[in-house]
Amino acid sequence: MNSPSNTATQVLIIGGGATGTALARDLALRGVDCILVEQDDINAGASGRNHGLLHSGARYVAGDRQVAMECRAEGAILKRVAAQTIQDTGGYFVAVQGDDERYIADFPALCARAGIAARAVDVAAARALEPALSERTIAVFEVPDASIDPFRFSLETMAHARSLGARLMRRTRVVGFELEGRRIRAVRLQSLSGGEDLRIEAAQIVNAAGAWARELALLAGAPIEMTYSKGTLLVTHTRLAERALTRLRLPADADILMPGGTVSIVGTTSTPVDALDDVQPTTAEADLIVAEAARMLPALATMRYIRAFAGVRPLVGAAGVADGRAISRGYALLDHEDQGLDNFATITGGKLTTCRLMAERAADLVCRRLGVTRPCLTATTPLPVAAECAWTEPGRSPRVWMRSHARDDTLLCECELVPGRAVDAIYDALRAAGDTPTLTEIGLRSRIGKGACQGAFCAPRTVAHLYQRGDFHAGRGLAEILDFFGERWRGQRAVLWGEQLAQAELMEALHCGLFGEELRGDDLRAQASRDAGTPGAPDDAPTNEVSS
Amino acid sequence: MTGVRQARCDVAVIGAGMAGMAAALFAVERGLSCIQVGNSGGLLFASGLLDLLGVQPVADGRLWQSPYEALAALAREEPDHPLARVDARSIRSAFERFVAALGGAGLRYVSLGERNRKVLTSIGTIKTTFGVPLSMVAGVDALETRPPCLLVDFRGLREFSAVQIAATLGERWPGLRHERIEFPGCEALPELYAAHLARALEAGETRARAIALVKPLLGEARAVGFPAVLGLARSSEVHAAFEAGLGVPVFEIPTMPTSVPGLRLSGALEAVMSARGVRRHHQATVRGLAFDGGGGTATLDLEGISGGERVSARAVVLATGRFSGRGLVADREGVRESILGLPVLQPDSREAWHQRDFLDPSGHGINRAGLRVDDAWRPLGADGRPAWPRLYAVGSILARQDWMRSKCGSGLAIATSWAAIEQVARELRAAAAG
Amino acid sequence: MSSTIFFSTLYASLVLCALGLVWRVSAWFRLRIGPDARDVASSQRVAAVFRGAASALFGSRALRLLGALFLDVLLLRKLFASEKLRWFGHLLVMVGFTLLLLMHALAPLVSAKLFPGYQPTLDPYLFLRDLSGAMVLVGVALLLFRRRADFPQPRRLIDWAFVTLLLIVVATGFVFEAYKIASPRAFYRMTEQFIGSTDRKELEPLRAVWASEFGVAFDDLKQPVDPALLQQGRKLQQDSCASCHSKPTSAFVSYPVARALAPVERMLDAGRANEWLLYLHVFACFLGLASLPFTRFFHVVAAPVSLLVNAAAQNRAFSTAGRASQRALALDACVRCGICDARCSVAPVARYLENAYLLPSHKLVATGALAGGRLLRPGRENDASPDDTHRDEARRVAEGAYLCTDCGRCTSRCPVGLDLADLWRAGRDDLAAVGLPPPEQWVQARSALAWAESLEAGSGQHPLADADAAFAPLSADRRSFSRCVQCQACTNVCPVVAHSIDAEHGIDLTPQKVMNLLRLGLRDLTLGSRMVWDCASCYQCQENCPEGVRVADIMLELRALSVHRLGALRGRREPA
Repeated sequence: MNSPSNTATQVLIIGGGATGTALARDLALRGVDCILVEQDDINAGASGRNHGLLHSGARYVAGDRQVAMECRAEGAILKRVAAQTIQDTGGYFVAVQGDDERYIADFPALCARAGIAARAVDVAAARALEPALSERTIAVFEVPDASIDPFRFSLETMAHARSLGARLMRRTRVVGFELEGRRIRAVRLQSLSGGEDLRIEAAQIVNAAGAWARELALLAGAPIEMTYSKGTLLVTHTRLAERALTRLRLPADADILMPGGTVSIVGTTSTPVDALDDVQPTTAEADLIVAEAARMLPALATMRYIRAFAGVRPLVGAAGVADGRAISRGYALLDHEDQGLDNFATITGGKLTTCRLMAERAADLVCRRLGVTRPCLTATTPLPVAAECAWTEPGRSPRVWMRSHARDDTLLCECELVPGRAVDAIYDALRAAGDTPTLTEIGLRSRIGKGACQGAFCAPRTVAHLYQRGDFHAGRGLAEILDFFGERWRGQRAVLWGEQLAQAELMEALHCGLFGEELRGDDLRAQASRDAGTPGAPDDAPTNEVSS
Repeated sequence: MTGVRQARCDVAVIGAGMAGMAAALFAVERGLSCIQVGNSGGLLFASGLLDLLGVQPVADGRLWQSPYEALAALAREEPDHPLARVDARSIRSAFERFVAALGGAGLRYVSLGERNRKVLTSIGTIKTTFGVPLSMVAGVDALETRPPCLLVDFRGLREFSAVQIAATLGERWPGLRHERIEFPGCEALPELYAAHLARALEAGETRARAIALVKPLLGEARAVGFPAVLGLARSSEVHAAFEAGLGVPVFEIPTMPTSVPGLRLSGALEAVMSARGVRRHHQATVRGLAFDGGGGTATLDLEGISGGERVSARAVVLATGRFSGRGLVADREGVRESILGLPVLQPDSREAWHQRDFLDPSGHGINRAGLRVDDAWRPLGADGRPAWPRLYAVGSILARQDWMRSKCGSGLAIATSWAAIEQVARELRAAAAG
Repeated sequence: MSSTIFFSTLYASLVLCALGLVWRVSAWFRLRIGPDARDVASSQRVAAVFRGAASALFGSRALRLLGALFLDVLLLRKLFASEKLRWFGHLLVMVGFTLLLLMHALAPLVSAKLFPGYQPTLDPYLFLRDLSGAMVLVGVALLLFRRRADFPQPRRLIDWAFVTLLLIVVATGFVFEAYKIASPRAFYRMTEQFIGSTDRKELEPLRAVWASEFGVAFDDLKQPVDPALLQQGRKLQQDSCASCHSKPTSAFVSYPVARALAPVERMLDAGRANEWLLYLHVFACFLGLASLPFTRFFHVVAAPVSLLVNAAAQNRAFSTAGRASQRALALDACVRCGICDARCSVAPVARYLENAYLLPSHKLVATGALAGGRLLRPGRENDASPDDTHRDEARRVAEGAYLCTDCGRCTSRCPVGLDLADLWRAGRDDLAAVGLPPPEQWVQARSALAWAESLEAGSGQHPLADADAAFAPLSADRRSFSRCVQCQACTNVCPVVAHSIDAEHGIDLTPQKVMNLLRLGLRDLTLGSRMVWDCASCYQCQENCPEGVRVADIMLELRALSVHRLGALRGRREPA
């Protein structure tokens, strides 16, 4: 291994999810120098694979009042400081015939005890506002749930942190810790994007790797007890409801339908898994979600779904607990001091809603260790709007495009009407930060590939656009398309029936039938992960061609 | 108010995609009266290239220079494959007749010969195909010898980027340059659509301006490639004008759907149908299809915009395609045949429909689902015997093939239609005789 | 009755009728519908008609005219094609009424001349008269019993009066006849005249026969009648009555009525029923005659004329003058049958907007009112006094006129063969002339985005609990566009998008983008868009869509929704 370039910082944060980015911002606001390393991309893990539900806490009033109250408080804070990332849709808790009558009866009192405002709503009135609700609905309560755009939230959080001096290293994986007595002297990192390897010396190291926290802690020699719970969600073709709709019962499978801007997101499931690699939604999970959620929203049985996605919840607690839901959704902050490490901490578990609080607690610990006394400011400092982060908002780009409607601003994505300028803004921002942006990364920061065609049409157009801009060279575009499809496909195969199956068929007819991408696939994907600049292209006369 | 109209014919073809059109054509060529039902919009997905068989076996991704050798291999390795059940001689004549009919309607293809050809695609990959329109053949030659060439694209035509193609081919075609021009008259428009450009280029004046824009960019280019927008119905005229104007061979590169070659195909085939006296109900849908006791004659209840029509036919050919053609319909429980609910050969569970990797070399299980047919191309019922004596099935709805991976879409449509219509003709002759 | 009264009233009503006809017919040359009509003088229009008539009558088309007269006018071919029952009713009234007019009312001029020995009391005339009367009654009944329309035509009093008159005429006719059958007084008048005796004893045999077989209601006949007497009476009847009297049983309506009247016959005789019944009958006829031109039943004149004009001008373009007159004629020729309304492609929209002016028959009336200055005079719509109901009315008329999809069903189905499509075009031009321009003009004055924003600002309307779902079922139902696979076929075959190549600025959205905005739940963004308003409804998109999405139908629906919702907005923001 060639000698890596050295870097030093006060705090090294491992993991670019909601917690990691929030921690970076918290520390930066306190004037603490920090570097955040992420093996993939912002919100690549569970932070980007959830409902986008900003909990009022009502969901946990029975199971875990502590979490419920944290959610209530944090939800209120985020609505204040990160308003641009939140749609205050309000939420309904809905019971249908056959649901536990006692729970329905106790619910208002439970909410009251947790300080959560729950108001009983007349069923007919509720169905007038949410026509999708089943006619077998028997009780509805209104609670202050809201919808949050996790990507915009984390992206803007990180953008703010960077503006305050924090550094971000994406596609960089931790490969080792250099221990020295009770301290970690340095962390060895490997660049996954062809960059050179790194060695970072940090006074404090925070493990905010979410589901990957266990592996990391193990690598640092401080094992933690953690189980994984896989949650799968489905995305509908059209938006079905205005509010966050939650089944009024003890948390179970498929009892939340969230408005995801122009779509609805329904889920989740909870199945224990032990491995983190290649976590994909299955058809069985999709069937389970449709069947179960259709009891609250019958339209879901005939709905067109455009994709599914699965995330892994890191659950800190007794390993080997069968049902993930039995384990607290509370977060865990471990200082590892009893394991003989003084400058290492793990912050994991918890919820998107409480990520700010988790970051605050972790930052408090780190600052105490560093002797920094400045207080946390994230509860009061508004999150600045970052233009290049706004493109994740569904339904925004059509308006922007229709407003400008400039000659040189063509739409690259028809499904979600994403204009070329959105891609330009995202690409340039990433470039400015020294990255070589990939199509997948552009997709994560925009609505590209999120519509009905799932990239079949917009991916080639976007690539063509980037070639035209001079950003892509050689065989890069094709490689990017294949990687992008690879990522999109993981979420598609579970929901391919009805109309979406016809869509997928057209996609394959185009990209395999006409472009023959499957014949070039492997060597290209290999090449995609190499430095994007290097030339290289599909071999059009493969050795395996049979000549007569 | 309007009563249900009545009509009768020898063969009713359900479906107006490649297979439906081929079936109707071969039927009338054999002197059978024919009614065709269905929307030909599916043809708009076509690239204009006529695949026969390019890859076999799919799992190895092995490309073949001779489609007929590929067919022989197919017959050895997958005797159940629908294409493997049509003899080479029939396939040759089927393609000849089909291409001849297209030529008669002004859509000319190069003489087919025995070999597959290689065509540049709009994302810079190279496609192996068989039947190539005259407007694309110069590209095939250029790709073989790789002389200095120029690729031209139009600002605003989002589905086609010359620089992308040139860059993707990289140093394997060093002499390949790219230029972008404004489409004459569209300087103010943000987006351009292939079909509109094609129509615009049929006007001599626009064409002349386009040629004038390209001429100074030629350099030492020995051929010029354009996105496939060189004219619609009068494409050969437009193509010839470009070659004359530029003084070098000019070739088209197929674009993403909706592709102009697809529009040309549907236009030409519709012309062929009306010329050959095929009665088309392109806006009608089949509301009911029933066979009389003996299965001898069928009654189709059509529902169109101008009321209903009842067609009684002596034979019915099912060319309704797969999922996007809605010949097959899938829900979470499984795959159904949409009109008669015929049993569909399919994977046991939906988990087996698709591989975890989109480009998995072995292909997706669902693509080999479809109708099983007997030796006379009659779909089988639940009991494994023909569902009806005179119900036939052709094209992509057939099981045990993966046309997208095998590059055999057109071949499947044309060959199976030819073979099935041969059976229909024989059957009806016998019925008339006996 | 005194002939002076009779004739003076007859001539009076004839004069009134004639004046009415002149006034109505002159309107065909006075009324100006459509801008092109304003440039031609009435004189030119009259001249044009004469030219046309001459060239038709003495030209090659005379035969076709004859055919039209027979098939279209007499046999009502077009009506037969569209509605059998109504056709039957019409035919009954027409034939029955004509028979009565010629054979009965004008008997001295027609029947008496044509048939030697004509006697109203003889068969077949006796029977035929009853038959004709019955036909009229049944016919009227059939026509009055009409399919219930969502927007029934407002019936003017005079029209009802006319129908009542018609019924009175027929009814009094029957009753009068019945009375005479049963009347002893009439019997004695006859015996006095033809036998020279009114002596009951002497006439006993004849009385017996007339009582038992001719339904005369004697109250002093001793029963039972002696058969011998009856025999004697029959002979007497043969000798002195048979030549003029058939058995009244063939008057299958009047005879039963006569039997029913028997008990009160003496009172009727005493009350000189013969006179007042006759007056009632005759004056009802005259009144009807006089009022006909002023009722909508003037169509009995206008419709045949219109049919003949069309036949004469078939596949020959009208001159401007000719078309101007044809439009005015159409207003009178319309029989308000409502067949067009039933077939109108925007009838559902009309129901939703509760605006009858979308429906042809109502639109036709409004077009006439507008041309006649009864709805709005130019510039009038601007003096916006809140009490000015005319302005709102005109607005509704405009909404109706512009939401018409020009599908042409009304024209193709009109039993009188009116060129309604042309009338609608002219009417829209007139509306534009009085300051009610077509919606695309004011819609496209603002951008789609601007409209959407003011919509959102204006109404907190809930996109999912769609108040307009009933009215815009396609754009409200995900299933109507969820089949889209983004192939762009619709956009590629769209002539409007293609045309924007030449236009100095392109259209804002393409068909596919409209479908996608619907999918994204952003329907408001489409309502004010050029695509929706420039859509030519050529149906290329719909016919070529591989997935069978009803793109063109959705466009039409959005246009109607746009007028509805943006119109309200516009009304609020910038009064007219």
